[in-house]
Parts: sequence; structure tokens; C-alpha cells
Amino acid sequence: MAIFAIRTSENPAGDFRLAQMKEQRRAARMQRWFGPERILWIILMVVVLAVSIAPLVFAVDASFYEETKVGLSDKRSLDAVINVYFSREYLGYLLNALALSAVVTGLSLVVGVFMALLVARTDLPRKGLMELLVIMPLFVSPFTGLIAWIALGSERTGFINVAWVRFWQVFGVDAGPLVNIWSFGGVVWVMFLFFCPFVYLFTIGAMRNMDASLEEAARASGAGPVYTLTRITIPMSTPAIFSAGLLVFILAAELYTIPGIIGTNAGFTTLPWKIYEDSTAFPVHRAHAAAAGTMILWIALIGLLLQRRITRRSERYVTMGGKGFKGQLLPLGGLKWPAFAVLALYVLSADILPLVSIMLSSFMRFSSATISLDLLTLDHYRTIWNLPDVRSATLNTFILAVLSGAACVVIGFLISFLEVRRSGRGARLLATLAVLPAAVPGMVYGIGLLWLYLRTPLYGSIWILLLAMIAKFLPYGVLVSRSGIMQVHPELEQSARMSGASPLRAVRAILMPMVKPTMIALLFFVMLQSIKELSASALLYGRNSQTLSVLTWHYMDGGEYQFASAVGVVQTVLMIGLVLLTRAAFKVRLERVMASE
Amino acid sequence: MRTGIRTLASMAFTALLAVATTLHAQEMPDPADEAALYDMAKSEGSLVWYSGGALDTTKAMATAFQKKYPGIQVEVMRLPGASQYQRFMEEVAAGHDIADILWLSDHPSMVALVDDGMVAEWKIPTHDRFDPRYLMGQSAYAFNRVDSVIIYNENLVTEEEAELLRADWRNVLDPRFASRFAVTSAKCGACYAPISLFLDPAQANTYPEDFLEQVGAQKPAVYGDFIAMVDRVVAGEKDFAYWSFESIAATRRAQGAPVRWVYPQPTPAFPSTWMAISATAPHPAAARLFLNWMGSEDGALSLQRDYYSKPTLQGVEDSRSFVSEDWYQPPAELYEVDFEHWPERYETDMARWVKAIQQ
Repeated sequence: MAIFAIRTSENPAGDFRLAQMKEQRRAARMQRWFGPERILWIILMVVVLAVSIAPLVFAVDASFYEETKVGLSDKRSLDAVINVYFSREYLGYLLNALALSAVVTGLSLVVGVFMALLVARTDLPRKGLMELLVIMPLFVSPFTGLIAWIALGSERTGFINVAWVRFWQVFGVDAGPLVNIWSFGGVVWVMFLFFCPFVYLFTIGAMRNMDASLEEAARASGAGPVYTLTRITIPMSTPAIFSAGLLVFILAAELYTIPGIIGTNAGFTTLPWKIYEDSTAFPVHRAHAAAAGTMILWIALIGLLLQRRITRRSERYVTMGGKGFKGQLLPLGGLKWPAFAVLALYVLSADILPLVSIMLSSFMRFSSATISLDLLTLDHYRTIWNLPDVRSATLNTFILAVLSGAACVVIGFLISFLEVRRSGRGARLLATLAVLPAAVPGMVYGIGLLWLYLRTPLYGSIWILLLAMIAKFLPYGVLVSRSGIMQVHPELEQSARMSGASPLRAVRAILMPMVKPTMIALLFFVMLQSIKELSASALLYGRNSQTLSVLTWHYMDGGEYQFASAVGVVQTVLMIGLVLLTRAAFKVRLERVMASE
Repeated sequence: MRTGIRTLASMAFTALLAVATTLHAQEMPDPADEAALYDMAKSEGSLVWYSGGALDTTKAMATAFQKKYPGIQVEVMRLPGASQYQRFMEEVAAGHDIADILWLSDHPSMVALVDDGMVAEWKIPTHDRFDPRYLMGQSAYAFNRVDSVIIYNENLVTEEEAELLRADWRNVLDPRFASRFAVTSAKCGACYAPISLFLDPAQANTYPEDFLEQVGAQKPAVYGDFIAMVDRVVAGEKDFAYWSFESIAATRRAQGAPVRWVYPQPTPAFPSTWMAISATAPHPAAARLFLNWMGSEDGALSLQRDYYSKPTLQGVEDSRSFVSEDWYQPPAELYEVDFEHWPERYETDMARWVKAIQQ
């Protein structure tokens, strides 16, 4: 109405003001639509849609085709979707996967939380060493760990059982086997060992940042360490524990190698293994595989949404508790060494035994329960040294690790920056889309990427693998950098802006130096995950773009377990080297920074 | 949208295929003119071999070829099972011609490739020295034969027991073998061959209707992975595998593993792995030279030495080291696998087997 009044007046000053206001509004509109942050949002959205979302759409689309004996026909059909979603067979496989996942999650939570408690809240001895050793399984490929545990835990010939039986024979006792990896319990055991560090990592941060005054009050009232930990500390960490549990549940529900190779022996087939069979064995059932993949996708999506809610609650909870207040560590007293022994037992099972086993296997000519000199050979390492495939696979693995790490750090940081600092619907949507691939089994995702990029020069090159890895690990980039940015109060950047710094300069001079340790840790974490990646790589590699994981899989699939072990050792050494390099060159303790998120 | 793209792509591909096949046919020298073919192959410089076999043995054969024909680099791309067919078809439809040589272990997939004109016709010089069972016209060749065997750990199975297993497939039902052996629920051609024998209507008098269920009642250890099953026999976890195939058993023995094998009567023998030249091979001359070599006595020798497999080229002496060992007895009676009904029976038969062993 006021504008109308000014416009109808004969006043030239009013006209000028009107023109000025119009110009300001137009500039504001232009700023909103074509400002640097909007352009950044558009670029990021295009990247996320192309790299993360489009392959997913292609993968899901495959569910709606008629199948031939060797692939998909051109005709649309709902048969596969109906058969998967409503048949007793597929629902049974799904239930098996969920049951397995529930057991693994439960066990991982109990042990993972217990270890996090001991490290974060008690005066456990040798803590620095334990912090690194507890998360070491993250640096070993689960596939390599599987080979190791087959050699360790087979009923009659596993190294553990052979040693156990021989030990008792000394005393004249005829003892039965101690463990049997070829059972449901064996599947749970191996998966538990590899998922436990995730629970540890995702709960220890909350426990470290927790207000200790309640614990101290409990202790002052005469409560012992066990009472204090179980009645005060654990309940206060509930949101983080739920969050970690959901993550492990999702990861365990989509894993196919361990349940597939060991579980069949126990008459236990899970949905991810069925997807693998449907995709690879004649007659292939590609539409069924894709439809079954969507089943896991729904479960994972629900899980991710729940996790998002819980994470938000968790952050509120910690903030309310009073930042920076650190009380004394709980003294374990006489429980100190028994508690240490529990952690040591985990480290022995998850790190030392598998590594020793895989090293031994790599020097053997064939699998055997006993070791003698004539069984040992250096041939596998000689071959590795001389085989061009191993050299090129190592180089490819390294290039992919560095590039995917760098890409996830940069893109993840920018997406999180927009989400945290410029909160709006668009920024939230972008962050959600970028996190979505975490919910998709790598195999299903790989098929989507293959179809999407088949007609481009990217196909068969190392670059399609790079896209797969960026999509797969960008969720880590977004989530970790989000936590990092949230720890820096926006007032610091605002002060810089008020002193005349441009937005870019404020970010460069204030925010980036403060989140640098987190970003370095993130870089190396993604690099480690890339080195281990197999499910998508196995579908997408070309003749010049093999990685160490793919090569290990080929040798294992071809029956060369010992040679595969040697390649696995190289891969593990590479990963441990990276961890040590991070520590030496950047003074960043990966285990500490990752665990504080 | 995809339907449209697929249809257009397949139309364009058919036209290209026709042109490419004609060009190749015109340009190639006579299959027997090795010098001319080698010259052309050298100018191409390399070839890409899609192989379903184990990586190290495939590479050993590639090396043997390269030694005979310097100047031609063989790039091996391992694509096991049905994934090779899938990937090849998708690549060709997208215009990515990468593969020169295909080596598929799925009989029905190779039949589909031949029927669809996806592989080139090439009459190798030794074509007539192959039994017609190992040929798909002049389009695909099975250069080696796969014999089903029972592989056993020589420290755990006595000679008498091995003799019992050799005599008849049904002897696995002997109570002494309960819980001592391993089977696989994996799906593959070699996994299926004896099942096709047990369920062959012509064999109904020999193998009772519930034979598979009786095997399952012996409580074997079930492995989802074929290779893991064999590895466990090698390690001594299980006494024997009810069944494996000859070349994998021989490979383990060559490594020094304490394993032997018997060929139960009758022994399913079949052309498991088929080789052909892609109709759109980027290196057509090198591919043809390679196929000639695989079908030659040198190729047969490499198959024996590097793959421990039985060549199908007639008139070649079996030079594999194990054939001269005391314990070795070749198969006495062969069973020809029925390929005509294989595609239609395979899935239901395999499902029945898996159900029987997981009871």
C-alpha cells in the first residue's frame, strides 16, 4: 500500500526511493539465485545427483523388467518385485539376514560399549595402545579376516583347535574342538569382530564429552565403579549407543561374503548372499537381485532416518550436559587388570590371531592344519614382486584411495558447511541425498553405476571406480565434517565478517584451520575404506583398473587361498602404513580424532 | 526410456555387427596361413581374453602363447560365471568392443552367443581333429574336457575306501562315510554334471528317485563355495568332496597337497568351458591366431601343463605328471551329459539338490 502511495505521488524523491528499493530487491533476488553459495549449491547438487542418486535410480529400475535366462528383456514386468516381496523364499532370506544382523548388533553393542566405557571413563592401564588396537579391525579387509578365521577356527584343522587338542593331549585328555567357525556362531563371531570397532568409535565420543559431575556425585554417595558405569554413564550415552547399534545393524544386514561363505555350511542363507547368487550364477535373476536390493534399501533407509533423529537428540543431550567439564576418571581398583584382560582378549581375537594366521597362510603352499618346513615357501611374495598385475593393482588402489579421500573431504565439507551454517530446506535436502548411498548394498549400487556409465568413456576405467567410491564414502565425508563444523561456534566467523572479511576469507581463515585435524582424519579414514572396497569394485573394474581387493578376490575365487593371503598381507601393510603415516607426518592420531566425532 | 535406448542400441548394433563380421571375414587370411595371420596379429599388437578360469592358470597359458608369438600381448580379464556373458553383452550393446576372446564356463550362455551371432565363425586348422561334441559348428570350441571326480585327502581315506568310491557313485551311502564328506550348494556347470546323471530318466533303474535325499541323509558338510569345499579337503577338515573336477584336484596335487581322486563309474565328462572369438573383436587377427594356437598341439600341451586339464584335441598324448603315478586310474566308463535338456532342467534339479543336502 505504501509503495502504491509513493508511486502515485508527484514527488521525484519518492520515485527515486522507489527505484532504489526495486534495485535493492532485484539485487537481493539476484544474490539469492545467483550468489556464490547458490551456485555452489547447484554444483554440489549436480555432483550428488550424478554420482550418488542416478546410479541408484538405474539399479532400482532393473527390478521392473522381465528376465531371460541370461539377463533382462526389454519388457516391463512386476513379476520379480512380486516374487521377492511376497514369496516365502525371499522373505525367509530377509528374516535370516535380519536375525543375523540383530544378534551381531547385540553382541557388538555389549562389547563395543564396554570397551568404550573402559577407555573413555576409567583409569584402564595401557590406554594409548589399546585405543589403536581396538579399532585395528577397521584397517583389515573383512575378506582377508574371513580367510584368516577359516584357517584359525575350522573344526578339525583350525590352528586354534589343533593347538587346543594337542595341549590337552599332554595331560592325557582327549579334548574336543574349542571352536567351529563353520556354524551360525562362527558367522556371528567373525562379523562381531569386524563390527565391534564401529560401536566403539561411535559411542566413545559421547562418553568422552559427557559431564562427569553425575558420576562423581554417585561415587561420593558410595557407589562402586560397576554401579556408576551401569547406572549413570551408560544411560547418559543411550542416544549414541542407539545410533551405533543402528549403523551396525544396517552394515551387517547388507554384508554377503561372510554369511554366504560360512553360513551355508550351517544351512543359513541370507538375502544379500541370495542377491549375489541371483546376480552371478546361471541362470541369472537380475530383476530379482535388484528387487531384493530394494528390500535392504528400505530397511537401511528406515534405519538411517532413525539414526538421524537419534543423532540430533544426542547432540542436544551433550550440549546440555556442559561442554568441557571433565571430571576424574573412574578408578577401577582391583578390576583394573581383569578389565584390561577383556580388552586384550578382543585385541587377540580381532587383530593378533587373524594377522598371524594370514601371515602364516601367505607362506604356505596349500592349506594345512599343521606347519612344517617343507610346507613353507616364499613363492607367493616372489610372484607378487614380479607380477605386473599386483604392481598396477597397488598403484590403482593408491590413486583411488587418495582421490576418493580428497573428493569426499572437499565435497563433504562443502555440503556440511551449507547444511550447518546456511541451514535451509535445499541444504538439508542436499545433505540427505549425499548420505543416501550409505543405505545401499555396494553390489546393487555397482550395477546401477555400470548401467549408467556403460555408454561413456568412463566405463572400464579407473574413474568409474572413483565415482563408486566417492558415492559410497561421501556419507562419511558429510557426517564427519558436519560434526567437525558444529564444534566451531559460528560467532568466530561472524566476528571475522564484522571486521570486514569476505565469507570465503572467514571460512578460510577461521573455520578451516579449526576443523583441519578432523578433515585430515577423515581423509585417511576414507582412504582406508577405499583400499578395502570390494563389492562395487568387483563389478566395475576393467582390465587396466584392478584394485588389490579385486585381485585378492580373484585369487581366492580361483582357489589360490595362500596367494590371496599374500595379497591380503600387502593390502593390510598398506593400510597400517597409512595410519602410521598420518600419525608421523600430520601428528594426527586417527583413532582419537575419529572416535571424538 | 531404457526400453527405447535398448531397442535403438540393439538395432544399431545388429547393423554394425553385420558390417564388422563381413569386414573381418574379407580381411582374414586362410586359417592355415599362420605366417600371414601372425603378421596381421603383430600389427594389432595385443588381444583381450575374457576368462572364467583361475587367474594364475589363465595367465600361464597366456604366457605360453606370448612365448610362441612374440609381439602380441595377451591381456587377461577374469570374469567368472554368468558375469562374463552379462558384461560382454552389455559392452557390445553399448559399443564398447573390448573382448577378443571369450572363455565361458556356461554352456547355455555360449549357445545363446552363437545363436545370436555374437561370436565369429572361424574354422581352426585342427577343426576336424575334434569330436563334434566339443564343437558348436565353427563358432565355439571346447578345447578341454571336464571329468567329475571324488577328490579325497590321502591321509584320511584308505585305499579300500577309495576303491569303494571309485566303483560306484552310490557307495557314498555306505554308513562308514556318514558325516565324513563335503558337498557344495554352489551353482555351476561342474557342480551340476553328476546331478544330471543321478536325475537322468534313463538312469532311473540305477539311481533311485530319492537318491539325492539319501546323500543328504549322510549329513555331509555343505559349502556354499566350491573352492572352499576343495580347500577344506586339502586341509583335512573333511575326508573327501562328493564331487569336484579333475583339473582342480590335479592343481592342488601339483602344489604338493595330500590329495588324490577317483573317477566313479560312470564318470560324467563334458565340455565345460567354451572358447570363441567376439564378432566385434578389436583385434580380430590376434584373436584368430590365439584360437588356432589353443586348438593346436601347443595349446593342448599348455592346457595339460598349466591347467592340468584333458585336451579334447584327438591324437595328443596325456603328458600330465599324475597319470604316471601308481594310484592313478583313468575313468573306465564315461557318461555323456545331456546338453539338450540342460537349460530347462538345470534350475529345478539344482534346487532339488540344495534342498536335499540342507535337510
